[in-house]
Amino acid sequence: MPGMRKDKDEEAGSGNPFAYIERTAVLQEARIFQQTPINPRKCCEILTKIIYLINQGEIITTNEATETFFAMTKLFQSSDVIMRRMCYLTIKEMAKMTENAFIVTQSLTKDMNGREDIFRAAAVRALCAITDSSTLQGIERYMKQAIVDKVHSVASAALVSALHLTKHTNDFVKRWVNEVQESCSSDNVMVQYHALGLLYHLRKKDRLGTSKMVRKFMKSGLKSPFAYCMLIRIASKLLEEEDAGHDSPLYDFIESCLRNKHELVIYEAASAIVNMQNCTARELAPAVSVLQLFLSSPKPSFRYAGVRTLNKVAMKHPSAVTACNLDLENLITDVNRSIATLAITTLLKTGSESSVDRLMKQITSFMSEISDEFKVVVVKAISALCQKYPRKHAVMMNYLSSMLRDEGGFEYKKAIVECIIAILEESPESKESGLSHLCEFIEDCEHTVLATKIIHLLGREGPKTPNPSKYIRFIYNRVILENEAVRAAAVSALARFGAQCDDLLPSILSLLSRSMMDEDDEVRDRATFYYHTLSQKDKPLTSAYILNGLMVSVPALERCLQQYLKEASDEPFNMKSVPLVSIPTNEPKPDEFSSKSEEKPVASRQEIFAEQLSRVPEFAVLGQLFKSSDPVELTESETEYVVRCTKHTFPQHIVLQFDCTNTLNDQILEGVTVQVEPSDGFEVIAYVPCPSLVFNQPGVTYACIAIPDEDPTDVTTTLSCILKFLVKDCDPNTGETDDDGYNDEYVLEDVDITVADHVQKVLKANFGAAWEEVGDENQLEDTYALSTVNTLQDAVKDISKYLGMQACERSDKVPEGKSAHTLFLAGVFRGGHDVLARAKLVLKDGVTMQLTVRSTDIDAAQVITSAVG
Amino acid sequence: MGFMDRLFGWLKAKKKEANILCVGLDNSGKTTIINKLKAPDATQQDVVPTVGFNVEKFVTSSLVFTVIDMSGQGRYRNLWAHYYKETHGIIFVIDSADKIRMLVAKDELDQLLDNQNVKAKRIPILFYANKMDLRDSLSAVQCSQILGLDNLKEKPWNISASNAMTGEGLNEGIQWLSDQLQSVR
Repeated sequence: MPGMRKDKDEEAGSGNPFAYIERTAVLQEARIFQQTPINPRKCCEILTKIIYLINQGEIITTNEATETFFAMTKLFQSSDVIMRRMCYLTIKEMAKMTENAFIVTQSLTKDMNGREDIFRAAAVRALCAITDSSTLQGIERYMKQAIVDKVHSVASAALVSALHLTKHTNDFVKRWVNEVQESCSSDNVMVQYHALGLLYHLRKKDRLGTSKMVRKFMKSGLKSPFAYCMLIRIASKLLEEEDAGHDSPLYDFIESCLRNKHELVIYEAASAIVNMQNCTARELAPAVSVLQLFLSSPKPSFRYAGVRTLNKVAMKHPSAVTACNLDLENLITDVNRSIATLAITTLLKTGSESSVDRLMKQITSFMSEISDEFKVVVVKAISALCQKYPRKHAVMMNYLSSMLRDEGGFEYKKAIVECIIAILEESPESKESGLSHLCEFIEDCEHTVLATKIIHLLGREGPKTPNPSKYIRFIYNRVILENEAVRAAAVSALARFGAQCDDLLPSILSLLSRSMMDEDDEVRDRATFYYHTLSQKDKPLTSAYILNGLMVSVPALERCLQQYLKEASDEPFNMKSVPLVSIPTNEPKPDEFSSKSEEKPVASRQEIFAEQLSRVPEFAVLGQLFKSSDPVELTESETEYVVRCTKHTFPQHIVLQFDCTNTLNDQILEGVTVQVEPSDGFEVIAYVPCPSLVFNQPGVTYACIAIPDEDPTDVTTTLSCILKFLVKDCDPNTGETDDDGYNDEYVLEDVDITVADHVQKVLKANFGAAWEEVGDENQLEDTYALSTVNTLQDAVKDISKYLGMQACERSDKVPEGKSAHTLFLAGVFRGGHDVLARAKLVLKDGVTMQLTVRSTDIDAAQVITSAVG
Repeated sequence: MGFMDRLFGWLKAKKKEANILCVGLDNSGKTTIINKLKAPDATQQDVVPTVGFNVEKFVTSSLVFTVIDMSGQGRYRNLWAHYYKETHGIIFVIDSADKIRMLVAKDELDQLLDNQNVKAKRIPILFYANKMDLRDSLSAVQCSQILGLDNLKEKPWNISASNAMTGEGLNEGIQWLSDQLQSVR
């Protein structure tokens, strides 16, 4: 487009030449498309404007689009090369806006089969953009030809377009597999790459086919380095799926690519090895040494790639990267700031404690020059460093607080705040200074999310510090100055101070009474609620409603309440019937704490299970789902049938959900059940079979077991399981089955029902208050000698696992070098009874434990105590 | 038409150009006719049902024709209207052996003639009663009767029997069309 380019250059000084164009004006101009003879230069300019508008997100109505599109089709009269190619681009852009885009089908087909090579590739792309499944048939023949075309650009265009077509018409494109395969052996780098990509895409659902394909190319080799990279990616994906060891030929192939003559391929192979899971140091070594060579490459892109990948490696295997330290040191002064930053952060992860100060000084010297994205990388490195060297906390805190004061976007500030919070949770010494830095930060913080998060943290940690009153000023300032969300959080935080610090209570009450006049509903409601709760001066009450809050999952509560309203019974609503959430939300809205977001999927997983189970008619009478365990594998992973079991606990029953997969492609299983043989008082009351199990499609079968009710403490058992089914042979290719089959069975591993299955984890934010709230009415106490464990940390882990309860107040972390520790556990027993346990552990020739259990129900307390013995 | 005049003045040195629209029911032989009219070295070997439209150029002794060959399939016929505006002449192809759909052809023709853009202009219409070689085909006169061409007073029209496979009768029609187009200007 020589003419256009000149225009642009002339106007470059005055900025974007298209800055002020208007949609209606441009569409008006598009009328000159209809004039004869055509003025190609003028038309090109208008087409450019139209494409520009579309890409700016301007909305063009269907009518306008259709009118313009038809006007544009008249340009096909002219054979001006530049204008024709602009037409192709415009067709692609407008294809989805007008219903009549297919009008150009014939013209494009003619171009793609024509003599002008310069038109053909573009015509293929445009044609595929306007084609849908109904018109695809008409052009199928031409597409097949184009895929194997002699002209490389045409073949590539056809392959890539076919890849796009697979999005909605996968089956159609599958028929072209022979042609695609043929172009895989093309000697053009791009064609081979695109063909391999498409071939993989067509076969990716068929694992056997994919691995066959990979093996074939591994043997025959490829010309194109791009195709090699693609092959490495496919191979590493296969490795991950197959979970094969590192003696697999796939791994050998990737390893051999480290010696390829193309740097691109070498890097891809190294990065594939580095990203592999459970990769040992020995396997890493060759990859790391290749990356090390990149570090001294004269090309900045290779230096960047090398250092960036090493940075990732350093997170998991710092020792492997230590060998590169010398090269990394050289990169600290690299002119490219991105490379320098990554080099320093890598060194921070690998270097020794003594070099930390020097590196930190170096990096703060150009912190203001790098982008936010890299600043976040630095903060993450610091955060990792803090975990490694607890003694450096004070130093790091200083750096972090000065970074907090600097300019920066939300992501950056968030990373810093999270890092500070992590530090102050780790080490009690730096708590005071960390909190005061955060207080200073919220004085001038424009991010509501961060402000509420910090205020929530202050509410939790502040009351426990020696001098809580100094935080009140900071929090109350927020009540006066900030927006609704922050005000509401601040009110909640104030209430927490009032609940825990008796001497501050009168002042807190007077502060809360001022917020009762707030203009925002939420703030006003909270203030009123907290004011009245606190003024009762009733400890169990404040514990239940202010410090520990609701333990139920909010969506479940909503559903239960809706159900309750529909049934309109006279009984009061029973809070205990609502399913619990594993980690409860203490503050209803804005105070989402970061660690909770990770736990969220667990809660929603239970929601999904509840939904699934409620659809099985047999289980409708069982009541609300109380808890679902994590799935347990009942078979080895390499066997013919793979079965995993999930235990769902209901008030009086346990439902075992067996997820079965048939890995034999020449068999179909019908009427699949898992026969469960219980012992003791347990009784199987129902089976729900899976009607048929086709190759590689998971099916579900259930067994329902009643928990004996004579003795409420008898809750554990072992169940032996046998998979029973009717086998029918089938043709692996067509899926046709024989009519008659035979019965067969398959022995599975036993399923254990443990105490943990009856207990749901809950996090009591304030364990002491909850402990007092439950009271010593149903208290059991006993002393045990734990002979099998040798360290306190192991003991803590085992106890939480056996009891299935949540460790509170971060008591699951045992400080190093201590010989005694107290573990606080909280949970809810089946039926909705709160259970709290306090385990005092002493390390002295094995671990001795004094376990005190309190519960609202004596049976629950007994069950928990018995679990340890 | 000042612009057009200037344009044709400029083109005087070269041959005149004319935009022609070729319409008709599906399977009547539009693409085959156009294919036959092109220079022998540019002809396509196989003719498949057109999807959308096709632009072709061919030269006669006096004019350069740019023909927009429209698809005749039912669901594409409403797209013809988009191209009436700029056309200088229309070729309407009739399958003279398809007696059953003759009325459909008449219906389409009536709609065409009723269109604002066609009505307003005095543009020549050339009819081809195609497939005259088939045994039970209607003659050109019978076709014109069925289509009611006698009532078509306000436009110059001509009908010629043709055989697109051999090219018989095509040139006579094009000759008439060229004369009409030149006499209009």
